Order: sequence, then C-alpha cells, then structure tokens
Amino acid sequence: MAEETFDLAACLERVRQRDQAAARELVDHLYPLVIRIVRSHLPRRVAEEDLAQEIFLKMFTRLDQYKGAVAFTHWVSRIAVTTCIDQLRAQKRRPEFRWADLSEKEAEVLDSVLTSETEVAANDALAARELVYKLLGQLKPEDRLVLQLLDLEQHSVAEISAMTGWNPSLVKVRAFRARGKLKKLFEELQRKERS
Amino acid sequence: MKDFDARWQRLVAAARQAPAAEDVAAPYGFATRIAARALGEPERPALLAVFGRLSIRALWVAGLLMLVSMAANYLAFAGNDDDDQSLIDPVSEVLASS
Repeated sequence: MAEETFDLAACLERVRQRDQAAARELVDHLYPLVIRIVRSHLPRRVAEEDLAQEIFLKMFTRLDQYKGAVAFTHWVSRIAVTTCIDQLRAQKRRPEFRWADLSEKEAEVLDSVLTSETEVAANDALAARELVYKLLGQLKPEDRLVLQLLDLEQHSVAEISAMTGWNPSLVKVRAFRARGKLKKLFEELQRKERS
Repeated sequence: MKDFDARWQRLVAAARQAPAAEDVAAPYGFATRIAARALGEPERPALLAVFGRLSIRALWVAGLLMLVSMAANYLAFAGNDDDDQSLIDPVSEVLASS
C-alpha cells in the first residue's frame, strides 16, 4: 500500500473500534518496517514470521497506550526492537567465535581486513555481510543493535534514539563501548590467526 | 583504536554492498491471521483485574462486618455492666451455706 494513500490516523481510529479490515490494512502497511527490523536483529533458531507475529500482537494489545507523542512508526519500531532484544537475551550464551566456523569466503574477507589496507572486493560483499553479522552476534543484544543501526544501516544517533527510546548520549556511549568490545574480538582473532 | 575503526569501517562498507533480501510484503494470510487473533475475541477483562476488583469488594465487606461485630460486642459488654452484681457465684454460695 502506498504511503501517500494510507490514512494512518483514520485506520487507527477504526482499529480502536475493533474493525478487522482496518487491522489487516494496518498490518499490511507496517509489515515492511517490522520485517526489516526483524531480519536485521533475528536471533538464531527463531523464525522471522513468528517474531513478526509476536510484534504485531503486542502492538494491538498496547494500542490504547499510544498517545501520539511520537510518530506511530517509531512507536512500532520500539516494540519491534525491544521484542528482538528480549529474544536475543533469552538465547543467553553465544557460541565462541572460531575461524573454523567461517566459510572459506568469510575467512578470506576477515583475513584481508585484518592483514591488509585494501578495500574488500565487491564480489565478497555477501561474505562480508555474513561475517559482520557473525561478529556482531558475539556482542550483547544492545551493543549489537547499536552498531548494526549506526555502522551497518547508517542511521543517525537521533534516529536510533527515536527507534529505541534510548537518549542520544546513551546511544553514543553504547556505540563506543560496543566498538571497544569488537576491537578486543578482532585482536583475539588476530592472535588466533597467528597461532 | 583508530586502526581497528578503519578496519571495521572497511568491513561494514563492504557488507553494505550486499544486496538485501527484499521481499518485504506480508505473506499470504498473515494480516488476516493477526487481525483475527488481535481483534477476533471479544474484549474480556484480564483475570487479574477481575480478581483485584473482587478482592477490593471483599475487603470492604470484611471491614464492614468487622465494624458491625465490634459494635455489637461492645454494646453487649457495655450493657452488661450492671448485671455483674446480679451474677451468682456458686462457690461463695456453697461456702456461705456450709
């Protein structure tokens, strides 16, 4: 459904009156936003559709709490992000990161990043993305989220603040600490590579 | 840290070049299923809310009963002040008659 033809306020009003057709329209309208967040922060062994369903059900349950203080899409993003973080937290232990777990291409990309100053080849982009996800997967859910939004998806601090509900200073501090942890992980990988 | 930052930025820059899996339309029947689950059932007060409301009513009734019983007992005791003298002490009666 095109953004310009969708009357969100009217749709929300109809949903509040328990109009199922309006609820379906709202889900269809918000699905691309929610599924992008889910795909970016999907925990292992969780089906993206199950997580999207949980997010939408939470959204409908809490709809009465939405007072319009922030844009509705930001409000839904927060629900999506916190649901993903909760799921990631529930996983608790992250498996130790080993070179042996990387595919041949991923290992090549990592080796190239660690040992040379040249840009990663364009045809290694998919491997680079998988590698980034694996590296971020070693961090705590909040740290992973902030680096993913800031560095990979290139959102501004203000946008991340709106999406997560964290204040801008907290976003910056979390990003700084997360990069510190990632740096240690890189150093550890370099040591393992040499040995 | 600068060295690491440069490496990390090179890696994420490469990762951004990867084409995104962009099938972002809701699967068939997804919206219908969600709408039915979210709005299909009539609104029912949560079990805890019902329990809470009944508990408060029960508390009021219990308090009222307590006050009524206290008042009734107080009146019974207060009204029996004079009766103390009319009580017959069987022990003293037996002692007096012997």
